[in-house]
Amino acid sequence: MDSLACKTRQGTKNKTKHKNKTMTYSSSLAVGRQRYAARSQNITGFKSKDKAIGPVSNTIILIVLACLVGLLYLTQVTKTNAYSYKINDIKNKQAGLREEHDQLAIDSARLQAQERIKNSEVAGKLVSTVPSGVVAN
Amino acid sequence: MSSSGTFLSPIQRIRIWYALLLVVCAVFIIRLFYLQVIRHDYYQKTALSSQLKEYQIPPERGVIEAHNGDSTVPIVLNEKLYTLYADPVYVKDTKVAAEKLMGAIGGEVGKYQTALETKNTRYVILAKKLSKLQSEQVAKLDLKGIGTREVPYRTYPQGSLAAQVLGFVNDEGEGKYGIEQALDSKLKGTPGQIRAITDAAGVPLAANEDNINVEPKSGERVVLTLDIGMQKQLEDLLKAGLKRVNSESGGALILEAKTGAIKAMANYPTFNPAEFYKVEDGNRFTNGTVSSPLEVGSIMKPLTAAAALDLGVVHKDQTYYDPSQYKIDDAIVSNIEEDGGAGTRSVRDILQLSLNTGATWLLMQMGGGEINQQARERWHTYMVGHFLLGKQTGVEQGYEASGLIPDPNDGFGLNISYANTSFGQGMTATPLQMGAALASVVNGGTYYKPHLIEKTISSDGKENKDYQKIVREHVVNKEVSKTIKEMMEYTIEKNSMLYGFKRSYPSYSIGGKTGTAEVAKPEGGYRSDVFNGMFMGFVGGNEPQYVIVVRVDTPKISGYAGSEAAAPLFVDLTGMLINNFGVNPRS
Repeated sequence: MDSLACKTRQGTKNKTKHKNKTMTYSSSLAVGRQRYAARSQNITGFKSKDKAIGPVSNTIILIVLACLVGLLYLTQVTKTNAYSYKINDIKNKQAGLREEHDQLAIDSARLQAQERIKNSEVAGKLVSTVPSGVVAN
Repeated sequence: MSSSGTFLSPIQRIRIWYALLLVVCAVFIIRLFYLQVIRHDYYQKTALSSQLKEYQIPPERGVIEAHNGDSTVPIVLNEKLYTLYADPVYVKDTKVAAEKLMGAIGGEVGKYQTALETKNTRYVILAKKLSKLQSEQVAKLDLKGIGTREVPYRTYPQGSLAAQVLGFVNDEGEGKYGIEQALDSKLKGTPGQIRAITDAAGVPLAANEDNINVEPKSGERVVLTLDIGMQKQLEDLLKAGLKRVNSESGGALILEAKTGAIKAMANYPTFNPAEFYKVEDGNRFTNGTVSSPLEVGSIMKPLTAAAALDLGVVHKDQTYYDPSQYKIDDAIVSNIEEDGGAGTRSVRDILQLSLNTGATWLLMQMGGGEINQQARERWHTYMVGHFLLGKQTGVEQGYEASGLIPDPNDGFGLNISYANTSFGQGMTATPLQMGAALASVVNGGTYYKPHLIEKTISSDGKENKDYQKIVREHVVNKEVSKTIKEMMEYTIEKNSMLYGFKRSYPSYSIGGKTGTAEVAKPEGGYRSDVFNGMFMGFVGGNEPQYVIVVRVDTPKISGYAGSEAAAPLFVDLTGMLINNFGVNPRS
């Protein structure tokens, strides 16, 4: 009993002594760990729980994401605007072809002009005839 | 800070820099707030004014087509040509520039040089209607201050063919005269619009929700009833016919009796619509067959006879004693000497001999034996209500005239005035009005609106064929129609030599009536030295197919204008239709 009582006293003494000791950074960490450490509990597992993304990281990630979205928007806008040039080119080609078509229609109509036909070589060789009769039904 | 207070500690210095940085940032933020929030509207407007381009796209004017046999061909199209212009301020050596231009596109060096030396202007036109090739050649010269500008023009592949029927488009893009004026709203189309943010070169950028792109709507395509072959031959024959009788002007038209479709319509002299600006006499633009009413003379008599027969006041085989003159309201109505004086005449003699007294007698029968209010009102009803004289026909032409039919109850000398109208004096009508009226009489009694448009086709392909319209039925009854047709055939038969028929057409039905009308003086009364010649008739087989009206203004001949100036033209046109345009013979 005496030995047991002595141990207990000694233990109390040690605790008191510990209390009076100056806390260092490493000891404070150790105390912290001990506070949460339970029997058979893995300390490493406890550390992983402590690695949650903080508010600064969140902000940075958000900014990066916003930049990425902005960049994506800009690339799409640029790409769309690049199509404008293609559209413009195609429209110019279309206008050119239409102009060519219109000019051909004019030339074709001019070739069918009555005055031109009348003065043509073929018309000049035609001979006038009086109808000899009419076929009646 | 040191203990003595002379130097700042690093932390304090950092804080000062930090404060300065904050001040600078604050300045930027405030400035940006001012520019982007407070002056937002102003800067947005300024930015848009340089980036946002708005163009109106002019629509293409509708093409006009006409028949060429069974097919159709365009007779009015659009062509882009170029105007050569210069800013004289930039042209240093005018002689060299003028010589280069002459080498590239032709023209006169002196003319170019004079234009390039024009003072006090920044814009001179050096040439118009250059082709695309010429425009490219000018561009290759790379002359400072000289350039070309694209301008749309109407182009006429058939030259001056049907010029007065077509009209033209002036420099402001407005249709003037003819079809161009009458159908201007349909032909001109609707402008398109582009509003877009553009790059520095003016290329529209697609990625903008405010962009507007409305395509222009081209004008409607118009297909005319005209046949260009018939039109050409009509114009040639008209020109030759007028020359033959020393007439300076005239007109003629051919319309289908059973539809009112005008197949050919011409006036002489004419003009080139592509060079309308060179015409000095504005009257040349006028389609006289539609816009210049005149006292039509004796071609009115078939209508007077038709009215009297339709009223039942005379019958076709009736005879009467013709005294060769009537005294009405102190005026004398008489006939020409060749008619042989007083005697018993039939109704068909009235047409064959062209008796003014006969037409007056017909009018008298409408009043129960004298010209009175009843006669005037009945005849007025026929002229205006049945034959639709004195009002526009609605043909698709600019400046259509109505003509004038005197009021039956208001005015002086009403009886003599109405006696005159019975043989085509003292009233006015256009050749088209007369042609449409005759068509309604000889086709069985249906008045078709005379029309030049067969159909219009919108830019989205929708066709509108609603141009052939019946305006009035029962103009005269069918029996009267047949009688008038036979009487007009009889007139031709008896006068064929006089009119100039060189051969007979036994398989065809040809009828007609001359008109020699006095020409009214502007101050009143009539000229005694000149007359207008008219002829109105038809050609067909079992039924009249075409109605022809000819007008010859004041021919300088010794004989009667109707029979010796207008009738030979009718003969030519009849032969042309029979020989070249498939008139169906009698079966």
